[in-house]
Amino acid sequence: MKNKKFIYSVIIPTVVFMFIFIVIPIGIGLAISFFNYNPLRDNNAFVGFENFVKLLKDKEFLVAMKNTFVFVFGTVFLNICLSLALAYFISRFKSNKVRSLFRMIFFLPCIAPVVATSVVFSRSIFPTDTGLLNMGLNALGLGSVNWLGDPNVLMISVIVYTLWVDVGYNIILFSAGMDGIPNHIYEASDLDNTSEFRKFFKITLPLLGRTFQFVLVQTLISHFQMFAQFSVLILKDGSKNSGLVLSRYIYKTAFEHKDMGYASAVSLVLFIIIMILSFIEQKKTQVDWEY
Amino acid sequence: MKKDIKISKMIRIVCLVVFSLLFLAPYFWMLSNSFKSTSEILLEPQHLLPTKFTLAGYIKVLTKSPFFRWLLNSLFITIIDTVVILFTSSIIGFVLSKYRFKLRKTMFYIILLTMMVPATAMMIPNFLLISTLGWYDKLIALIVPTFFNAFGIFLCKQYIDDLPKELFESAMLDNASDLKIYFKIVLPSIKPAIGSLAIFTFLALWNDYLTPLIMLNSAKNMTLPLALSFFSAQHMSDLSATMAAASLIMIPASAIFILFQNQFIKGITMSGMK
Repeated sequence: MKNKKFIYSVIIPTVVFMFIFIVIPIGIGLAISFFNYNPLRDNNAFVGFENFVKLLKDKEFLVAMKNTFVFVFGTVFLNICLSLALAYFISRFKSNKVRSLFRMIFFLPCIAPVVATSVVFSRSIFPTDTGLLNMGLNALGLGSVNWLGDPNVLMISVIVYTLWVDVGYNIILFSAGMDGIPNHIYEASDLDNTSEFRKFFKITLPLLGRTFQFVLVQTLISHFQMFAQFSVLILKDGSKNSGLVLSRYIYKTAFEHKDMGYASAVSLVLFIIIMILSFIEQKKTQVDWEY
Repeated sequence: MKKDIKISKMIRIVCLVVFSLLFLAPYFWMLSNSFKSTSEILLEPQHLLPTKFTLAGYIKVLTKSPFFRWLLNSLFITIIDTVVILFTSSIIGFVLSKYRFKLRKTMFYIILLTMMVPATAMMIPNFLLISTLGWYDKLIALIVPTFFNAFGIFLCKQYIDDLPKELFESAMLDNASDLKIYFKIVLPSIKPAIGSLAIFTFLALWNDYLTPLIMLNSAKNMTLPLALSFFSAQHMSDLSATMAAASLIMIPASAIFILFQNQFIKGITMSGMK
């Protein structure tokens, strides 16, 4: 097919649009990380690499960096374990209806806006006196925990919330992968009286191959960018910044302190982390497309 | 032997039921609290169900806040954007897949690259661009910049790549116009891709918090997620109203999901998207 007019009438608007709303903003973002940029000021000095040098000495940035890694690797590790286990349990049911009922329950939190569920968690699940979580702990004879007020517990609370809200996606993706594993393999192992544990590690996990890699990298990428729950759950962060992560630090620096040049330098760090992860995924998926 | 299998099956079921209850509990608690009065929520010990059922929280949200305005803002933005994204993604995917022209590959790679750029890293330049255009605190700031969706183009292109040649050959013999081929052949053949893309764009736009937070300022222009955080900050002490607002925002999407869950789940697995 070769109608030039048609090609141009689709391609030209696309290119123009991409240029205005994607290419130019990326350029602006890169450029202002070399300026001491404040949108409210008329004169913004070019400072070269000063913003990047400042990063290395900025205690808040280093705390945010550390917290981001603790949050991402902690949550993603738990998320993968939990979603693999639950997806496996679900996939072992023969009835389609039962399987979709359980998948639906675990996916339900993914549907709602993160802000809405964060508000519910911060106002009625985590509060020390009236929260559901402590009511449950007390009923089990355990003491109350100050989920959002204690800086040592804060990150755990955010991780608990994030697991609740996000595990459903991976359950669905893993379930799809597991449904692709032929049932006769399991039937054969049933005859051999293989334990569930062995079945999971010797059959399911190795045969998940590409699904596992894909889910792992995608979950890492999305968790590095998580923002809403840090903004809603953390009411008072105090001097310890125990819940400060990169995305929140960028927002705070750029929009609360109006120090956009410096915030752009932080953005670039986040951008590089995610680029590296994306390239790893591209490489892996090229090598390992099939199992 | 049989007994072992039964025991492991029991463990599996018990685990799933316990986790299911844990996962549903926040929903239950939100609904329960939304029908209690705030003084009852603060009472100790707490009751699982409201002792005195009240709609005061809901009435407060609907009368003391521009809730319907927020709902309309969200609907307006989400519907326009979803329709436009479905159109642009499929037509650009079609051109990239079936036409040969200069820079086709380059263009495709640039689109792939833009998929990797994280939204969080783009918030400052986007804000500056929107302010320069004079769109700050206007709904257009949320609508226009999302018209082209790299993931959507990518998904549609992959789908159209897989369509058999024969499908197009007869149309070519009939001398059908390009647009006719797009509407009569391409669109109907990629329905599954369009369906899952529609679900995801809709959800992503409907639930987005970061972009409205940066681009909007006045209460009347807010979308629902932003409005909820604003509302709950304003009514810090009124837990009943806050839970009612959260329920109003969460329940419609959840209900739609429960009704169409099979399509949702197919969509997620197909696009493998987050």
